Amino acid sequence: MEGKLSRAAKKLTSSPIQELSHLAQRCNAINLAEGFPDFPAPLHIKNAAVSAINSDLNQYRHVQGICEHLAKIVKEMHGLDIDSETDVAICCGQTEAFAAAIFATIDPGDEVILFDPSYETYQGCVTMAGGVPIHVPLDPPQWTLDPRKLLTSITERTKAIILNSPHNPTGKVFTKDELETIAGACCSRNCLAITDEVYEHITYDNQKHISLASFPGMQERTIITSSLSKTFSVTGWRIGWAIAPASIASAIRNIHIIVTDSAPAPFQEAALTALRSPPEYFESLRRDYQSKRDYIIKLLAGVGFKIQFIPQGSFFLFAELPEDCPLSDVEFVKKLILEAGVVAVPGQGFFHTNLSTNETSSASCNYQKRYIRFAFCKSETTLAAVSEKLGKLLDVEGKLALY
Amino acid sequence: MSIVSTENETTSEKIRHPLQVAKQLEQFKATIFTQMSMLAITHGAINLGQGFPNFDGPEFVKEAAIQAIRDGNNQYARGFGVPDLNIAIAERFKKDTGLIVDPDNEITVTSGCTEAIAATVLGLINPGEEVILFAPFYDSYGATLSMAGANIKSITLRPPDFAVPIDDLKSTISKNTRAILINTPHNPTGKMFTREELDSVASLCIENDVLVFTDEVYHKLAFDMEHISIATSPGMFERTVTMNSLGKSFSLTGWKVGWAIAPPHLMWGVRQAHTYIAFSISHPLQCGAAAALRAPDSYYVELKRDYIAKRAILVEGLKAVGFKVFPTNGTFFVLADHTPFGHENDVAFCEYLIKEIGVAAIPLSVFYLNPEEGKNLVRFTFCKDEETIKAAVERMKEKLSK
Repeated sequence: MEGKLSRAAKKLTSSPIQELSHLAQRCNAINLAEGFPDFPAPLHIKNAAVSAINSDLNQYRHVQGICEHLAKIVKEMHGLDIDSETDVAICCGQTEAFAAAIFATIDPGDEVILFDPSYETYQGCVTMAGGVPIHVPLDPPQWTLDPRKLLTSITERTKAIILNSPHNPTGKVFTKDELETIAGACCSRNCLAITDEVYEHITYDNQKHISLASFPGMQERTIITSSLSKTFSVTGWRIGWAIAPASIASAIRNIHIIVTDSAPAPFQEAALTALRSPPEYFESLRRDYQSKRDYIIKLLAGVGFKIQFIPQGSFFLFAELPEDCPLSDVEFVKKLILEAGVVAVPGQGFFHTNLSTNETSSASCNYQKRYIRFAFCKSETTLAAVSEKLGKLLDVEGKLALY
Repeated sequence: MSIVSTENETTSEKIRHPLQVAKQLEQFKATIFTQMSMLAITHGAINLGQGFPNFDGPEFVKEAAIQAIRDGNNQYARGFGVPDLNIAIAERFKKDTGLIVDPDNEITVTSGCTEAIAATVLGLINPGEEVILFAPFYDSYGATLSMAGANIKSITLRPPDFAVPIDDLKSTISKNTRAILINTPHNPTGKMFTREELDSVASLCIENDVLVFTDEVYHKLAFDMEHISIATSPGMFERTVTMNSLGKSFSLTGWKVGWAIAPPHLMWGVRQAHTYIAFSISHPLQCGAAAALRAPDSYYVELKRDYIAKRAILVEGLKAVGFKVFPTNGTFFVLADHTPFGHENDVAFCEYLIKEIGVAAIPLSVFYLNPEEGKNLVRFTFCKDEETIKAAVERMKEKLSK
């Protein structure tokens, strides 16, 4: 019966992140792998959800107020004028918004550009729609975008460029120059842009997240996707959205209705409360995450990891294995789980070997097995426990002795 | 920094508008349900069109979800379902069908049955493959199959009893058929597939090596006969995806908790697609669903009793007004022939019904590949409180004349 699987499904493999989580669970390891908080969601938002359930807001619904709040927010943050009646589709998380955007725009054979390393789901989605993922590598150690690499990857079959900023797994926030490069390429080569901006409110050192859609000529060709999940620590509520020109937003809405029909009703209501949070909420979110970032950098650099790139956004640290470590990222993480009781994600799952630039020499691609992604969206207690666990495995110089 | 493209720009094939929607979706506009609901709101009509209750779900289920929020179950749930919910689904399935399934390998929790269908189709159907549907069919089936590029073959169920035309089925099904999609109890007709019909389908599927996808969301709204899951027929579990949800049984349609039950070799495809479409579904609401599925039998007895009473009010009322009403044995829908009232077709009749009479129903033509087949029929729902149904009947008695 395996023959009954569709071609698209056969190309897909199960999520390595989820598998590691299972191992970590079996070993009772501290989970710095999966990107969700272990601290409570904000009380005012939980109360809003409880109140919605009690007020019988439990049937299929579309809460138009969300669209209106989003219009206000994108105007304030990015100067974008959107029509809340036509330009917004509410979806079940950014995951579904992205999937719907892909199905709305990608025909079989269309090429879609992704920046490498990238979150594993994008490629899976593109493949499912019959599109061809083309990976443009960002250059370590600062994960900079080389414009030539982007431009030489664009062909007449390129339909869209996917941009995730702030970036998972590196924590990079694409610079204004880089965004201009991408925007220029989209406009001159007549491509769409699909963005994943879920970490838009988690930026550090006074960096501001700039939406690609705010560049000249981009609003008409950009689909912005985002969600409540990371901003409000409610990854399990599944409330996200797509913002796009009316005809595309309409297609995304139609697909959303076909695929899931409606986002969870009580959490749509709670979204209204969340999106009305005062500026202080966002400031304290950034402050708290920044202090967690600084803590984890100090800890991991202190025990020997090479951290040449300080995350400017998201809650991920992409740390390089110590110079003298002979292990691969996967081998290292397994040891980390079994001996230190801490789990993180081997970076190789985010890299793709079919790079657009034909750099297949093992030397230049060696870096793909040298990185580990740590999530620091965890409580101070958890992070302190990590410090304690690692502390038990240090050599005389205070470096991790796992090999 | 300005970017100068060093390559020659355009050839005639490259004149492509980036704002063009993917080809197979150009045909889909806002669903008929949305259109009719909007029209109903504009005209202050009583909405007996869209299939969601105007009463709410049971307190104990809502409490369980609220407790889950308070307990901090607000982060990503396991992708294929909160473990306790998968167990509850397996327990319920065993009670209902006698089949024992593995909660972790044979159940995937989805965003409503809608997403179960989407994940099943996208995970198991290749472009160009043939899928058989029974018309009239719920509109998302056709749309999802189109999205997957399937070749749709439709077999029409005809009034008055909407029986499965076995000869049509025999001549349509072949070794080229990949899957057949069944919805029982059936939306919009209220038909329930009989043991004989399901046995015929089963033997044809086994003979031709065809999969079955079955949508059983109304299985607890089975009034006049027992609901039968085709997965229980000999040889069928290994080739069936059985889909269901919380929404209709527990009047919580907006929670979007559904599931697919299938053997591991089919489940894998469903799970892959689900991972990329939705990743996981609402955590606290899954906790509520687990409590719901452990409801005592008395809950379902009362549910059935309430709906039977509502059905009686609507059916008697429609007959008294002058509709030709077809028997409905399950779901909360009833079909009526509107031609006694002399309108051009079902859409025209529904618009008239909303604007002049103040009652909304759904025109049936959109449930067929060939809209002509549905032009005499409209669908009413009785998933409303009794006062609302009575009020709608009164409006029709008062103003609708043959």
